[in-house]
Amino acid sequence: MARMKFYCDPERCIECNGCVTACKNENENENENENENEVPWGVNRRRVVTIKDGEPGERSLSVACMHCSDAPCATVCPVDCFYTTADGVVLHDKDICIGCGYCFYACPFGAPQFPKDGAFATRGKMDKCTFCAGGPEVDHSAEEHRKYGSNRLAEGKLPLCAEMCSTKALLAGDADVISDVYRKRIINRGASVLARGVSFQDASFRSPRDVSGKSSAKE
Amino acid sequence: MKQSTRTTGFVAGIAWLIGVWLISLLVSLPAAVAEEPNAATKAPSVQLMNPAAELWRDVRQRTVPSSGNTQVKGVDSGVLINTNGDRWRHFRMNQLIPIGGYVLGGALLALLLFYMIRGRVPVEGGLSDRKLLRYSNYERTIHWFIAGVFIFLGLSGLILLFGRPLLIPLIGKEAFSVLASASKEGHNLMGPVFLISLILIFVRFVRRNIYQKGDLTWLLRGGGVIGKKHVPSNFFNMGEKTMFWLLVFVGGTIIVSGFVLVSPSLGHPREWMELAHVGHAIGAVLMITVIFGHIYIGTVGMEGAIEGMKTGYCDLNWAKEHHDLWASQAEKNSEALPNDEVARLRGDFDRLPRDVSIEEAGK
Amino acid sequence: MGEFIDGPLWTFSVSVFAIGVIWRIIAIVKAGVRTDLSQPRGSSGAGAFRAVFSRFIPERTVTQRGRLQFVAGYMFHLGLFALLIFAKPHVDFIAERITGFDWPAMPHWAFIVAAEFAFAGIIPLWLHRLLNPVTRMLSDLDDHIGTVLVFVVMLTGCLALAQSFEPLRLLHLFLAELLLIYFPFSKLMHAFTFVLSRGYTGATMGRKGVNA
Repeated sequence: MARMKFYCDPERCIECNGCVTACKNENENENENENENEVPWGVNRRRVVTIKDGEPGERSLSVACMHCSDAPCATVCPVDCFYTTADGVVLHDKDICIGCGYCFYACPFGAPQFPKDGAFATRGKMDKCTFCAGGPEVDHSAEEHRKYGSNRLAEGKLPLCAEMCSTKALLAGDADVISDVYRKRIINRGASVLARGVSFQDASFRSPRDVSGKSSAKE
Repeated sequence: MKQSTRTTGFVAGIAWLIGVWLISLLVSLPAAVAEEPNAATKAPSVQLMNPAAELWRDVRQRTVPSSGNTQVKGVDSGVLINTNGDRWRHFRMNQLIPIGGYVLGGALLALLLFYMIRGRVPVEGGLSDRKLLRYSNYERTIHWFIAGVFIFLGLSGLILLFGRPLLIPLIGKEAFSVLASASKEGHNLMGPVFLISLILIFVRFVRRNIYQKGDLTWLLRGGGVIGKKHVPSNFFNMGEKTMFWLLVFVGGTIIVSGFVLVSPSLGHPREWMELAHVGHAIGAVLMITVIFGHIYIGTVGMEGAIEGMKTGYCDLNWAKEHHDLWASQAEKNSEALPNDEVARLRGDFDRLPRDVSIEEAGK
Repeated sequence: MGEFIDGPLWTFSVSVFAIGVIWRIIAIVKAGVRTDLSQPRGSSGAGAFRAVFSRFIPERTVTQRGRLQFVAGYMFHLGLFALLIFAKPHVDFIAERITGFDWPAMPHWAFIVAAEFAFAGIIPLWLHRLLNPVTRMLSDLDDHIGTVLVFVVMLTGCLALAQSFEPLRLLHLFLAELLLIYFPFSKLMHAFTFVLSRGYTGATMGRKGVNA
């Protein structure tokens, strides 16, 4: 059986936040009542984090639920509302969730989100990335869409965030396939370093060797 | 002839191949060797680390806690890897739930064992015909106030802590989810009420709970558990005083950490909430264990102990045996009241002698 | 079961409540006041009006000797009425089922504070009723039933705060319906009749020209 994973390539991510927007757009419907939207206000299932913003070595990564094989959220949940699908997607049942926040404490990636409502507000029911795989309800039912957003996996499609990624930095799919894609990229990058005979450092800045551009400055 | 030309052709072919291989080796080796110093001289004077390795080191927060920038607003949204999450998971699942369960279960078992060995501690002199006023109405009210709130909070907290291993197999996920949600909401709402009751208890009882001279002796003699003799003590004995201060400090910790847990919208970092949960849980398990002992003594463990909290008056002989310093002083001040008088004050007409009429008693 | 609580039982309990309260108030009003033939020395109407409000401020002896009842009583009543009338779920429910229009609800934090006040009030008051020899003698079954009903309605309301579990909402609603049915036949009627009793005293005193 396939094991669905996300992979984000920091060498390719350009921090366009297209994945965040795509996710928000895909998993939202036009309900009058804002509380009825499956991705509630103030909740983003996916986010792009930039490390060393504005410094040399700046890299961006898009992160959401990584659908862990041994998910810590599922371990700590006091009401046991998580389950892993046959595709290796970690989902949760909002009818059982009590909004205690423990999954958020345990999650390595900060994926679980809670709609909140002013000071003293207790958390609402947890919401997180579903790998565009809906929830425990019948596939494509109105109920499922209202609670969890779209179910692209059941249509044979991959999550929209990865599908929309303009640089193909964000990969989603079977772990074997996307790790193959990524392995090839690494090999190509390594080969380009060897072929150009420059250090990895220089290669990553794309510094040209023996190539001189035109300059208006007179030597 | 034909044969020989064929053989020589084959050998020449092999030799040619070997030759090409040897030459290419001879050419390529020096070139590779020569390239090394060339590359070294081209490297920048400041040696930078591999940026990819450095990136992942930052992401995993191997060296320093780091946080990136993100457009998404939220608690710790700039942090890519929550390094404490797994430590917290380990604490909750492998330490808190099993060890906490053993501590609480063990405490109950120990009390049962103690009861089987020691039995109910009687008032040795027998119940007397006089009583002392031990707690005023207000004191009893706030005691049962905090007691009720504590029991509610304890039960709802234990449901949330042990519900998954103990209750889900019995009642199923759906039913337990309803129970857990009710427990969570009730727990959150009653927490501040516990704070109010704790403040009332503290203000009222703090003066009688300051440690005194005789308390060390009480402790050394194990509160009378070791040996048969009762240890004299004042209004509260060493054990009760310790319980009071535990309630104040551990209860205070529970309240403060509970406030951190109940107000995620104030935006404190995840680490605070993890630590608050640790403090909250350890404090609660400790406090529940202590209260087990408190309830044991009050109900089955000792004759006459609960009378003061139930009726406000305690038996004079009980007071002399357990709180001698206070009881002797009170008796000297002639504060001891006959049982009939107490029944009249309390309006317990059933316990009054037959010849006293209600009108008379009401005076 | 859920449909019964949500539908017929709700209608029945509200009808019992409304008819019962109106019937009891009419009964009291119809009993009338004794005709007083003496020359009035002041306005009875003004006296009644004044008494209804002046009695909100207790006498000094009450604030001193009954501080617990005074403080806890005000906390409980104010908290309860804030919850009853201005809590968001209640506003929505009343607007949907009865009035057809809604009004501004409290923000969530005020809701929580009001609930804390109400609980911190009712629990000590109930315990005081049970523990104090005097109030225990004065209390009859009606008092205890009324207190317990109000308390469990409040408690189940707070347990249902997540607003996402139907059984909890139904439990709260069911107990509230029991309370509504019980209301007109009990001392809980003081929520309406306090105006009449204070007014009666105030009118009598006002007519006599006594500022009390």
